[in-house]
Amino acid sequence: MSAGALSRDLDSGGIAAWVRARPIAVGLVAGVTLVAILVLGVGLGSVKIGTDEVVGVILSKTLGLDIGVTWSPATEAIVWELRLPRVLTSMVVGCGLAIAGATFQGLLRNPLADPYVLGTASGAALGAAIAVLLPIQVVVIEFGLLHGFAFAGALISAWLVFRLGGTGGPGGLTRLLLTGYAVGSVLAAMLTMAMYVSGAELRQIFSFLLGGLGGASWVRLLVAAPLIFGASALIIARGRALDAMLLGDAAARHLGIDVGRERGILLALASMATAAAVAISGLIGFVGLVVPHLVRLLVGPAANRVLPISAVVGAALVSAADLVARLVGDVPVGVVMALLGAPFFLFLLQRTRSGYEL
Amino acid sequence: MTQDGPILAMSDLTVAYGPRTVIDRASLTIARGERMAMVGPNGAGKSTLLRAMTGMLVPRSGSVRLAGDAIEHVARASLARTIAVVPEVADLPFAMPVVEVVALGRLPHDPPFTGLRSSDVAAINRAIERVGIEHLRTRDIRELSMGERQLVFIAVALAQSAPILVVDEPTAHLDIRHQVEVMQLLVELNERDGMTIVAVLHDLALAAHFFPRVVVLDGGRIVADGPPAETLDGTTIRTVFGVDPALVRLPVPAG
Amino acid sequence: MLTQDRRRRVVRTLTLCAVVAACSSPAATTTPTAATTAVPPSPTLAASPTQAAAFPVTVTDDEGTAIEIASEPVTIVSLTPANTEILFALGAGDRVVATDDGSDHPEAAVALPDVATFATVDVEKVVALEPDLVVAGGLGFTPDDAITRLRGLDIPVVVVYATSVDAVYDDIELIGTATGTSDTAKTLTGDMRAEIDSISAAASSAGTKPRVLYEVGYDDTTGAIYAPADTSFVAEMVTLAGAETITTGDPNTYEMSLETLIAEDPQIIVLGTNPFYTPTPDAVAKRPGWDAMTAVRNGDVRPVSDIEITRPGPRLPLGLRNLVGAIWPDLTLPAAS
Repeated sequence: MSAGALSRDLDSGGIAAWVRARPIAVGLVAGVTLVAILVLGVGLGSVKIGTDEVVGVILSKTLGLDIGVTWSPATEAIVWELRLPRVLTSMVVGCGLAIAGATFQGLLRNPLADPYVLGTASGAALGAAIAVLLPIQVVVIEFGLLHGFAFAGALISAWLVFRLGGTGGPGGLTRLLLTGYAVGSVLAAMLTMAMYVSGAELRQIFSFLLGGLGGASWVRLLVAAPLIFGASALIIARGRALDAMLLGDAAARHLGIDVGRERGILLALASMATAAAVAISGLIGFVGLVVPHLVRLLVGPAANRVLPISAVVGAALVSAADLVARLVGDVPVGVVMALLGAPFFLFLLQRTRSGYEL
Repeated sequence: MTQDGPILAMSDLTVAYGPRTVIDRASLTIARGERMAMVGPNGAGKSTLLRAMTGMLVPRSGSVRLAGDAIEHVARASLARTIAVVPEVADLPFAMPVVEVVALGRLPHDPPFTGLRSSDVAAINRAIERVGIEHLRTRDIRELSMGERQLVFIAVALAQSAPILVVDEPTAHLDIRHQVEVMQLLVELNERDGMTIVAVLHDLALAAHFFPRVVVLDGGRIVADGPPAETLDGTTIRTVFGVDPALVRLPVPAG
Repeated sequence: MLTQDRRRRVVRTLTLCAVVAACSSPAATTTPTAATTAVPPSPTLAASPTQAAAFPVTVTDDEGTAIEIASEPVTIVSLTPANTEILFALGAGDRVVATDDGSDHPEAAVALPDVATFATVDVEKVVALEPDLVVAGGLGFTPDDAITRLRGLDIPVVVVYATSVDAVYDDIELIGTATGTSDTAKTLTGDMRAEIDSISAAASSAGTKPRVLYEVGYDDTTGAIYAPADTSFVAEMVTLAGAETITTGDPNTYEMSLETLIAEDPQIIVLGTNPFYTPTPDAVAKRPGWDAMTAVRNGDVRPVSDIEITRPGPRLPLGLRNLVGAIWPDLTLPAAS
């Protein structure tokens, strides 16, 4: 990893040891936390299930091992069909949103950008609302019209904003952001209208807006995960372009980056990750805006550190919030995340002395 | 890349933004290892000529050849390894230590998945040393003065390790001592390291003192090209810059 | 994105929907499922000589989904208050092991564990109970995701919702079929139909139909007025009670403006009250602009318990009786059967 090499070999200039070790340390802590949340998430729920049973179910399902524990079919269903896919889905969604957020912030050179900056949230929500209101029910391998329309709505709005806004010329990024805001406003107005006429279906639209992982299942996970991981991997592979663009378009061009092309590709990939996350979990805020900042605060802005570590931290944050939401019962995951995550973030903002403070 | 012939050659270069012609049939040849300054009044087309020269914009007509190859056919990464352009001083959106900013200069050399190799690290350290900003390595670039930032961005271009260095107003934000130091650095890079230097300068005195060749641009045309003693004579100063030569004391005999 | 205000309003509206439990879409035009509401229970069942002999049975629920129930369910989970009432009325109450937190009737249901709220279902808890039948609510009452998850685990889920009084009879018979109590169900619906018809006949011939606003909700802060949507369940009940029903003028909207309401000039305002919504006639009289209405000027603002009126279950005859009592206070109704 270039971060390690950079810090290690450039230390002649006096970079403190803790800065050198920081990316690895942060990555390790986040990774261990992620594993801990996975274990807790599968072990805990509204129904009490013994640890031996949980371990037994997982070992028998994954490795075919029999450890001499017996359990009921209901226990097996709860551990294997409900909890595990839900925990994993929350991680995949967190990863996708955090990577998309980091990408949009870097691309647009705007610390306040989040995955929904290109109108994807309104687009997805409007798509979902239309699906709810349409008098058709289509279910293809556990995916209803709502998922398809939300996914398409997010992508269409991002495409529209990119086409209308462009990024060229001085002020191009500002134009793109404003276009995103304007298109988002129109879509949000249409969404409000749809909600107004939706009558009893309002609840379905509303629960999409709140976001949640109650619908998680293996099938949905297996469709969404490749999209999110694929987009994330391709973004990470293009981290150099993101880094170069930190210096501005002209400088990036002089560093050999095809700025127009790279920006288009990165916007498309980040929108893809966002759309896939939104389609299976509704609108989950906070993570995409805050996690990249939190990570930059700890390891600096270089893409090859920010992107992978954001992925892990985002996964840990959403899955932890969903675990709390499940245990408390009945609380939207976005609410838990903001309630628990924001104070932690504020604490870091105040206290971090890493050399990367905002 | 051949070793013979000019490293950069522009012939009959015309650049236009819409109906407005900015560069008008400019021809200019730069030999390997040359040190050349470009001067001219505001709006003369200096920056546009630099952009065309570095392959950043497509001319309406004419050609730019880099070591004999049409510049539009040179691959981006290869171009970036050949010509380093000191970036405009930009605001970074996030906190970033100087050493990491300078490291961005290695992007054209950095294979996508391996990260920095020891050659990269050496180049970064060398660039920081040459510009004399060792004391700033771990500072957040956003905390630095404009002048300090300007030095950092020069280091970014040096870290690119390209044989051609192009600078546009490298002293704009610098005090007189740093202006001279940057000029001395350019001379040293040229004379000791053999780099080809192309600099756009506002300050005629710096151009005349530190550059053996000065090109004067006016209204998109090259109106004079040669040693400063010839190109920055009283007539040029009067006709091109519209000032009384007596008011401009240049370190060359005014004609 | 939504503004905070809008969200608050949405939440409030949702709460209202929850409370009245009759936020039914008129739906024939907007939902696919409405068309299937009238699908009668499987004819094979009607032919069965005894209730128990019917299984395995395939029922078509209110969303048009065919669900196979292998044997007579012995462990039932009810996810809506109306379904809980229906199950108990059919004598299947002792097989119900869990309900939602809104199930407040009959008394025996209150003590059962809650596995759902208005907005959510704790799928994990439902699965842990290993039910052989889950009776859910439609139109988003039970979240689609929860229904999909449960069905994915081979738990039969019957989705029930009624958009009209007739549909309530169908639903009772549907649940009867699903629980092996179809004979009881037929008797029950027959009795309900007879009682509702007789009350409605008496109310309809009691005199000139008064213009009635059935107030679903009112927001003191914003002045928002919530009234029955056109062709909604509440509107039908008010009409059955021998009144000319004031509706919002839209089949999907439960909100109406004060101007429109004043133009409609209700002669009687019925306040549908419940534990979460308890306006008083005095408070109504003090609302700005409301004294322009005949009902307010004459003091004809009458609270009535709303749950029996709007919950699509076996207590509808009682609800209609109460509603008629509010609209026609002097009318003597035929006694309950």
